[in-house]
Amino acid sequence: MEFEAVIGLEIHIELNCPTKLFCDCPNNPGDEPNVNTCPICLWFPGAIPRLSQAALEKASLLCLGLGAELQPRSAFDQKVYYYPDLPKGYQLSQAHLPLARGGGIDITDENGRPKRLRIHHIHMEEDVAKLVHEMEGRTPISLVDFNRAGAPLVEIVSEPDFRTPHDAMEFLKALRTQVRYVGASECSMENGTMRVDANISVRPRGTDQMNTKVEVKNMNSIRHVGDAVAYEISRQSACVSSGEAVVLHTRLWDPDRKATFPMRAKFEGPCVPDPSVPFIDLSPEWIEKMRARLPEMPAARAERFVARYGLTDEEAVYLSADPETASYFEALIAEKVAPRTAMHWLTTQLLAAVRERGQELSGTPVTPARFAALLKMLAKDEINANAARQVLIELFDCGESPEKIVEARGIRQVSDHDALEGLIDRVLGENPAAVADYRGGQGKAAGFLIGKVMQASGGKANPKIIRELLTKKLDALG
Amino acid sequence: MEDIFCYTSPQTASSGSGPLRGLKTAIQPCFCVAEWPTDAGSRALAGFTALEDATVVERLRQAGAVLTGLTRMSEFGFGLDDSRAGMAIRNQAADVELSLDLMGETRLAAARASVCGFKPSWGIVSRFGLIGLMPSMECCGLLAGGVKPIREVLKVIAGPDERDYSLPDEKTPDFSPREINPRETTIGVVSEGLSNVTSEQRDAFEAALAELREAGFSLREISLPDFSLFALVHRIVGSVEASSSAGRYDSVRYGQRAKGAKNWNEMYLLSRGAAFGTLVKSYLFQGAFFQFERYDAYEDACRVRARLLAAMAEISAQADFLALPAVNPGVPDMAASLDDTYRQFFYTAFANVTGQPALYLPPGAGAITPGLQLAGPRLGDARLLALGEYLLSARQGGK
Repeated sequence: MEFEAVIGLEIHIELNCPTKLFCDCPNNPGDEPNVNTCPICLWFPGAIPRLSQAALEKASLLCLGLGAELQPRSAFDQKVYYYPDLPKGYQLSQAHLPLARGGGIDITDENGRPKRLRIHHIHMEEDVAKLVHEMEGRTPISLVDFNRAGAPLVEIVSEPDFRTPHDAMEFLKALRTQVRYVGASECSMENGTMRVDANISVRPRGTDQMNTKVEVKNMNSIRHVGDAVAYEISRQSACVSSGEAVVLHTRLWDPDRKATFPMRAKFEGPCVPDPSVPFIDLSPEWIEKMRARLPEMPAARAERFVARYGLTDEEAVYLSADPETASYFEALIAEKVAPRTAMHWLTTQLLAAVRERGQELSGTPVTPARFAALLKMLAKDEINANAARQVLIELFDCGESPEKIVEARGIRQVSDHDALEGLIDRVLGENPAAVADYRGGQGKAAGFLIGKVMQASGGKANPKIIRELLTKKLDALG
Repeated sequence: MEDIFCYTSPQTASSGSGPLRGLKTAIQPCFCVAEWPTDAGSRALAGFTALEDATVVERLRQAGAVLTGLTRMSEFGFGLDDSRAGMAIRNQAADVELSLDLMGETRLAAARASVCGFKPSWGIVSRFGLIGLMPSMECCGLLAGGVKPIREVLKVIAGPDERDYSLPDEKTPDFSPREINPRETTIGVVSEGLSNVTSEQRDAFEAALAELREAGFSLREISLPDFSLFALVHRIVGSVEASSSAGRYDSVRYGQRAKGAKNWNEMYLLSRGAAFGTLVKSYLFQGAFFQFERYDAYEDACRVRARLLAAMAEISAQADFLALPAVNPGVPDMAASLDDTYRQFFYTAFANVTGQPALYLPPGAGAITPGLQLAGPRLGDARLLALGEYLLSARQGGK
């Protein structure tokens, strides 16, 4: 029997707000343990939560960015379970009335066809504390770090529209891009600011039944999500083929053994409304104000890049995937760099160099203005591509302008015909065999000769002019 | 005084020069006062000292009130078994007392001490720093010898608080003194309120009503056939809220941790098992039962609560105020069980379910009546207090 998988994702994203969701503590979970705590997030007696306006706005922007519909009324519930990472026996989450419903993400499936993966709803909730398990002598102890307790999260719950690991990975990549665009979160699975649980079931291909699902957790990269989903599909398919029943439970992905293993079930009760957190009532005017704050989203930006700058679809999607890269590109255009040159040099040279140095585009000393000055010298044939690459490296290490670096290193391109003709004559004289090959019809000998001339010029010659002059001379010889 | 106070303030001088300057105010240990042992009457908080003042405490201090000490209370304010609320007033050790009102404790304590007891509308007094048990039912109750001090304190402590966003965005009632004209005021008498009393008790209540009639108020009988549902709804919704909110007393961050646990689960069980008293424990169990086993019943109770609220709103179109008994006769003062507790508060729980204000007025000197409970519509606190002041001064021949 052939199986197909039915997959839905639940994604937790930690919002990058300055404070926690219900108090004024800094939202910096990585600080020294338990410094970012107060009577509210430690839930001392008498504490009352106060919803952060900044978190509500950021969560709302995120919802709008994903095309979800903000609900006129949403509310917080108490999700009851007992565990030492939860400071009050319940987690505040929007179980019954979520912040937004609907929305979705467009991806390209494995066959290159467009596919829409729908979102069921998006809700806010608070994060829990971090448990650190250690040994004190021979006694195992558990330490609790409440810095993260109360950090603002949104949970995105998808419809079960996914069929393959590819779908899941593409969804997550696009989701990450869009959330970064609205500036709500870095969405790093490695750092835990994006956490993904996958619900997976299998059924005979062609049927539309919904079978018992299994939840898989503990993937810390998008690739791991793909691997875990693929593993789980084959595990369940094998189960069903051998007549074994799939039981509802949760499994953990083990990246080293590349397999999922069952985990102990956590006791969870139903959610009761919390009378201490008022309803969140959003007026149509407020929602429109939020919508006005929404930046141009990646799909729209890519479309504009194609229409306005003549990039290919692929180039445009690649450039717009990261808001910083896209903005840098546009800054180069604003400095009057030709779009294709900007695209090419940004993606093939600058990004690699920035990454190599562990920098971010936003913080690199190679500002758009300096990089543009370099690219404009290249465009005016004042330097050649080789020299441009060398200057780029120096831009990272010194504060000089590209013009000064070019002057200082004497690598301004030689385009002067007389000077180049002298060099060409010399090279032709020194390489009679290559000249003979060329005349014998071997075109690639010209490349060899051009290289020699370039070498003779100390790398400063304008390759276009060399080719022009050299071809003319060789053809004249013939 | 030791059987009334569990803590007396070392400082008795009044600071500040506000409207409550020198007013001796006793509070229960469920109101956080920085560095005071605010254990809310529970072993779960034994030795706990608050880090900061509750909003009401802060406002009392700013207005010049003198906090005299903490009076004994039942565990988390639930019931009156271990409470001495009202006794500080009766013994003139305090002018005003703040007490947690979950289902009518302030009114019943007032009846026992023969003083005035008031439960304000839900949502007009900040709960920040109030160690409660059931957020949608609880509020800060007030006890005093007369109604005027209650009004004056309420004027200070009521109003928006940026630390308690659960307060609805509403206009705070104006607590300036106001006139009551008995000729234009109708008081509704809930006929079902007298369904299970003896003829003797009925006569006593009728005597209390006679006082109203003599003062010139028109009385109107009002039928509320579902009156007994108030206590039932309170019991289900309140216990679920209590079970959920008491989850924070887990011995992880504060409170007493039991020794000898082999793992965290056992640590919870042992610590929480040792922390709560029998009555609260059975209430938490009951709440957990409804939450985990009979969530449908909890949802039903929420729906019934909405229906009762609507019924009460309709009644306010027929009468300006309601008159009911406060004390349920024939129920012992000490409650041995949850059933007993809810029987004690049969006549008072409704106001906590609906969030409306209610006032207990003790009988006049030498009168045989058991006192009277009066209630007004939500946010009608000022008018209700004005009615109370009117009746008290009428007794003194003032009106």
